[in-house]
Amino acid sequence: MIKKVLKRILTLVVILVILSFFVFALMYIAPGDPAEKRLTSQGVAVTKKVLDAERERLGLMKPFLVRYGEWLFSIIRGDFGISFKDDMPVAPKLLQGLGRTAVLALTSLAVSLITSFLFAVASVLKKDGIADRIIKVFSFVSNSLPNFLISVLLMYFLCIKLKLFPVIAKGDLKGLLLPVLSLSIPMIGRFIRQMRAEFLSEMSKDYVAGMRGRGVKTGYIMFNVIRNSLGHIFTIIALQTGTLMGGSVVIETIFRWPGIGKLVMDSITARDYPVIMGFVVIMGTIYLIINQIADVLSHRLDPRPES
Amino acid sequence: MKKKIFTAVLTAILAVSTVGCTTSAPDQGTTAPETTQPAQAQTQPEDGGNADTSSAETVSSEPKILKAAASFAYGSIDVHKEYYGWYTSIYGVSEALFKMDENMSAAPCLAKDAVADGRVWTITLNDGGAFSNGTALTADMVVKNLDRAAQVNERFAYLADFDMTVIDEKTITIDTGDVYPTLKNDLASPELGMMDLEGTTDFDNAPVCTGPFVIKSFQPEGDVEVVKNENYWGGNVKLDGAIFYYMQEDDPKLLAMQSGEIDCYNSVTSAALAVYSQDPDQYRVVSIPGARLQFYFLNEKTLDDAVREAINLTVDKDAIAAYLSGTVSAAVGPFNPSAAYGKVTVPAVDTAKAKEVLEADGYTPGSDGFYEKNGKKLTISIKYYAARSLDILAILIQEQLKAVGIDSVLGVEEDPDSTYLANGDFDLGLYCMIADKAGDPFYFIESVFKDGSYYDCNGFDDAKCEELIGQLKNETDTAKIASLTNEIVQIAIDDNAYGFAGLFNKTTVLRAGVTGFAEDIPFDFYGIDAQTDIQ
Repeated sequence: MIKKVLKRILTLVVILVILSFFVFALMYIAPGDPAEKRLTSQGVAVTKKVLDAERERLGLMKPFLVRYGEWLFSIIRGDFGISFKDDMPVAPKLLQGLGRTAVLALTSLAVSLITSFLFAVASVLKKDGIADRIIKVFSFVSNSLPNFLISVLLMYFLCIKLKLFPVIAKGDLKGLLLPVLSLSIPMIGRFIRQMRAEFLSEMSKDYVAGMRGRGVKTGYIMFNVIRNSLGHIFTIIALQTGTLMGGSVVIETIFRWPGIGKLVMDSITARDYPVIMGFVVIMGTIYLIINQIADVLSHRLDPRPES
Repeated sequence: MKKKIFTAVLTAILAVSTVGCTTSAPDQGTTAPETTQPAQAQTQPEDGGNADTSSAETVSSEPKILKAAASFAYGSIDVHKEYYGWYTSIYGVSEALFKMDENMSAAPCLAKDAVADGRVWTITLNDGGAFSNGTALTADMVVKNLDRAAQVNERFAYLADFDMTVIDEKTITIDTGDVYPTLKNDLASPELGMMDLEGTTDFDNAPVCTGPFVIKSFQPEGDVEVVKNENYWGGNVKLDGAIFYYMQEDDPKLLAMQSGEIDCYNSVTSAALAVYSQDPDQYRVVSIPGARLQFYFLNEKTLDDAVREAINLTVDKDAIAAYLSGTVSAAVGPFNPSAAYGKVTVPAVDTAKAKEVLEADGYTPGSDGFYEKNGKKLTISIKYYAARSLDILAILIQEQLKAVGIDSVLGVEEDPDSTYLANGDFDLGLYCMIADKAGDPFYFIESVFKDGSYYDCNGFDDAKCEELIGQLKNETDTAKIASLTNEIVQIAIDDNAYGFAGLFNKTTVLRAGVTGFAEDIPFDFYGIDAQTDIQ
């Protein structure tokens, strides 16, 4: 067991080093100069002398491998470095943003999972009925709507027309509701379709036909179907969690939610390499850990050897 | 029966989830109106709900708090670092020795005068100048501030080369080494705002400055709240405070304005302008030509004289400005035409003449309607980046050129400075920058027209121009500066090396009754001051 865990940790470290090297290399190759971005961020021109001095100060004149090596050794020591954009330490920035995004992402995920699970079960139980058709239409429409459009529509109706919420949200529970809804609505549509397909696939198996033939109650059959589908559902959750952690930038910007997605988008624009690299390390670790957990859970739930 | 009940319940759940699942929260219904100050509710009856006499009576007793949206926010408000001074200036917290006025002149602020005698400037401070903690602003503190700005801000590192001497409590001399005509303008830069360097304990979060407001709360990269500086040296401050909400997106700003949660903001989009213009009783929109210039480089290394001339005769700046519906004004040169150094001329749009110029140079219309020469089609490469409406500008220019028979290919880059401006890989390269930093035309001329400058990317090189730039650098007489500037810009225009498309308007929307949000000053770095008020 210990050997297995160590092997997984070692794999994780190797993947992270490879990932960080490629991201560092891509940023090095891509056009854009952090010093120039910083000095001209308000559209004011600078002289070459000033630009060179800033490049020197930020360490941008050093060779690629030296820069990558310095960054890697800093990370090993737990030092994420200083932001190119504003000279602030990177770690507190990332951790603060990560915490905020985690609240938003996990709340949205919970809302989406519960809602879509109920709808998917109902849809399967009443296959081809009115409820199933309504749910299918809802899942199709909500899955098709982009986040930003849902956000603006929600703001318009709930903040302006119904005056239920302020447009300028604070970082409290009330401020969380609209961004959660904006993230959840398309996700619910996506989850319903995936869960419904998985449940229906499971329903078509022989053991379900056997249970039906023996007169087993529908509720018990559904319980078994759901239990046998959990592995797939965990995979969906794992993938979606990673996506949410890094991909809610539009919602964060519109609702002024200072999460990590918005921080990283601003950092990419500013070529703030220390923040981008810190993000890659943290998100890479989160992705890999979540996927490892999903792997373990899937295996525990369905211990049949993979064919 | 079970089926029907189930279907009904399911449909109800679906309907509730679709509209938001939150209509049952009664306390939320009171939140949005709470955020609107009673003073503002007078101009927005639907917010107050009961805009009656009793609510009107409470207006005068309530503190006057202005609520504004800010498009940028940073991790620090250390006045001297980066561009943070722009924001402390907008928040009404910091002041520089001079302040740019609506005529693009450096007007007295903390200093009452600056006089140059050759390379030595004598600066006299205002008598009452003091920080919010009551400490008087002294000449010694000014020198310390300038020294610190030179140390912490690369763009002001040149100040370290100047020899600054404290003459007395209120007088400083600055020996600039060489003649430096624009020092007064430089001293109006918000990054050179004055801080009490001994009284400030937290430069990043709570600098002690001289402005009419002091920081109440500062969220790094978030909202900022200021309150009236009770010790303001410049007299009575009309507002009790202000809140600046960090809002990057345009739609939420419009919605927040409509819901009464903010009172004003800058950089209004054309879509929002259309909404505000329908309700002039509620909203006042002020639009003035700003200092941010949309222009294009014409590459002299890849385009011959006739093609460059034809392009400039074709590009219709008025049509572009009209299309961008109020967000830009058609430019003539790089500077505001109302400034003394903005008096240049360009030939009127004349597509027939553009064709004549091309045909005189040997171009003939091809079978597809586009000009060609020696069997080679005239196709130009237009490079742009998708910001400051340059993407729209690129498409409009492409369409206008197509109408006269010049084919073009659009190429978009994310970072112009590191791509087409750096390697010269363009025929027509679009760019946007602040042309007039602080009433100082030399800055743009030195950055763009001078041989070997940062934006020397299109092969423009003129001996007469270089000579005039050399003269301008050392010129201190205002009238002569304007004259030399106009002469230099005219050479660049006549050479068809550039096309100055538009000056971004500084467009501000204010709720009715709100005044003094620097809406009449073309610079981006001013906001509230002692005179800002909510009626």
